[in-house]
Amino acid sequence: MPQITETGKEFGEQESFISSLFKLFNRRLLADVVKYFLQLLDKDKDMSYGIAAIRTLLMILEKKQFGTIHILHTTMREAVAAMRNTDLSIAAIVSAGELFCRFITLSLDDKHMEECRLIMINRGKIFLDKLDNSRQVIAKQAQRFISDGCRILTHSRSRVVLKALITASQNKKSFHVFVTQGGTGNSGEEMIRDLNAAGIDCTLILDSATGYVMESVDFVMVGAEAVVESGGIINRIGSYTMGLCAREMKKPFYVLAESFKFTRLYPLNQRDLPNEYKYSRKHLSDVSKVHPLVDYTPPVYITLLFTDLGILTPSAVSDELIKLYM
Amino acid sequence: MREQPLKEVTQLIHAIKVGLVEGSYGITNKTLDIFKYIIISKSWKNADALMQIVRAQCRILQAALPQETVTSNIARRILKLTREEFDLLHAKVQHFADDSQASLSLHKLVTQTSESNVSVDYSVPQQGLREALLDHLQEVETELETSSENICVQAEEHIHSSEIILTLGHSRSVENFLKRAIKKRQFLTIIVAECAPACRGHNLAASLAAEKNVEIIVIPDAAIFAMMSRVNKVIIGTHSVLANGGLRAACGAYTVALAAKHYSVPVIVLAPMYKLSPLHLCEQDAFNMVGCAEDVIPYDSIPAREAKVYSPMFDYVPPELVTLFISNTGGHAPSYVYRLLTELYHPEDLEI
Repeated sequence: MPQITETGKEFGEQESFISSLFKLFNRRLLADVVKYFLQLLDKDKDMSYGIAAIRTLLMILEKKQFGTIHILHTTMREAVAAMRNTDLSIAAIVSAGELFCRFITLSLDDKHMEECRLIMINRGKIFLDKLDNSRQVIAKQAQRFISDGCRILTHSRSRVVLKALITASQNKKSFHVFVTQGGTGNSGEEMIRDLNAAGIDCTLILDSATGYVMESVDFVMVGAEAVVESGGIINRIGSYTMGLCAREMKKPFYVLAESFKFTRLYPLNQRDLPNEYKYSRKHLSDVSKVHPLVDYTPPVYITLLFTDLGILTPSAVSDELIKLYM
Repeated sequence: MREQPLKEVTQLIHAIKVGLVEGSYGITNKTLDIFKYIIISKSWKNADALMQIVRAQCRILQAALPQETVTSNIARRILKLTREEFDLLHAKVQHFADDSQASLSLHKLVTQTSESNVSVDYSVPQQGLREALLDHLQEVETELETSSENICVQAEEHIHSSEIILTLGHSRSVENFLKRAIKKRQFLTIIVAECAPACRGHNLAASLAAEKNVEIIVIPDAAIFAMMSRVNKVIIGTHSVLANGGLRAACGAYTVALAAKHYSVPVIVLAPMYKLSPLHLCEQDAFNMVGCAEDVIPYDSIPAREAKVYSPMFDYVPPELVTLFISNTGGHAPSYVYRLLTELYHPEDLEI
């Protein structure tokens, strides 16, 4: 009897040793993952969080061998979780990570694991090329909506909106842009600097002046951190206010967003948004005294969404998501 | 090299401009005839060459008649048909054929491999393409011919006895629709807004009054709001349906839609499938057209010397004011229009 207990104990110890080794190894991998992810963003300030996340996941796929799909899947999930833990806004990371995991499951065949990996890497590159190109595609689509002499209101800084405006300016269109400060931080000022550098007329306004300028603009054009299943968007705080004002004054409200920002989330109201989206990491333990970073703009306030999949009405968004996750 | 219009195309443009061919059904029919003629008698070698001819002629039609979106719509149908037939005949790409309509989706973005990324080469000559195309063209023609009838059949579902219906101007689909309803239902009252300055509403009223068992009331456009409180349903036609489900309809339609909204009256729009166009409201200048001002104020009247007179032809009606579209394939909500468009046209043909 005692002998058996002895062996059992030994065996148990051995197992716990292996698993702890595995955990240690994983932790080091994840630390590398986060480092790589942050480096990517640091190197190229214009890279969107979602693209950086997908690049990172693809890097793991290239660097590491996986015994089974299950391990691959868990590693990917852990990597996404680790990236979520950084102090960046998580919306794009979540949706891009989810899209990538979906991509892995969809490319599975009855082939050898190593073969599968090579196919995935190959497809991943094509996938990434398409995503890298998406901002140009969106900017091109928006051109016909930016007419000569029009006045545009935008919220804070969005890279894709900036790209669309610069492209329009290069096409010899003259227009005026109103940029809100965008709450805390100086993202609005950054946007103004970028617009000035491109030679575009612009004015920095207070967030609270949204209602004031609304009557004088022709349309609103904002970016998004995430596009949710209802066709609404999650974006920097103040976008909802802007949507409400635009609706009241009957101005079109256009959203520019890449398709990797489509997220499987169906918020019913502001409170229903998960806390990780709304607050930064350090405040998550007690959110009663801090104010949120993002808000949810319901689809009724959105006129059109410009994506790399085409110009969509809000109702077309859920169609795209259903097609992918069915 | 500039593209030269075919003789048939110039004739059609002339006929439309001088008013020999009228109404979107007539224009669609004639355009389809031209494309059929191109398929039959032009010496194209492969699908690519055919598509180029179709595109070139469509661009000419578009430039000459910017308001008639139906011509481009039917060209897009032909282009999609050509693509589909080519894909079907082309054995190698057969398994992509059903994928072709969703060529720009999130799903495809994820599953795309390098080999399917290469677009299909349409310049390969293909045996039997001409015959296959003509075969399917027959289907399009039949669909066109029966579209009016297919819309009319649904009249009974939407109009009930002793209802009060309001309509605007004179749309042929609405005329047939109401006539069918009058036959099937009793004690209907139909209010026709005359749609000044052309006052084509008068023609509709005269045509409907020939039927028995119906009361027709003609009102000036200014009385639309006043009458709306007692109306049960608004039924109007449209010039075309835009990609977001909005309408480009006869001037006055927006007034009707707003008044209907105020009294929560449902607005039903009759729009056969060939009126669905994948365009957005963005180029304001190309959207509207001003008509002859003589009907508003005669040229030789005294105020005409001083006043500026405009007579715009179209109104944009936003999708949120439309309750239901009735097309030859059934009833659709405005938010569903995008889906119909993806089924009807190939995404690469949106820009001709």
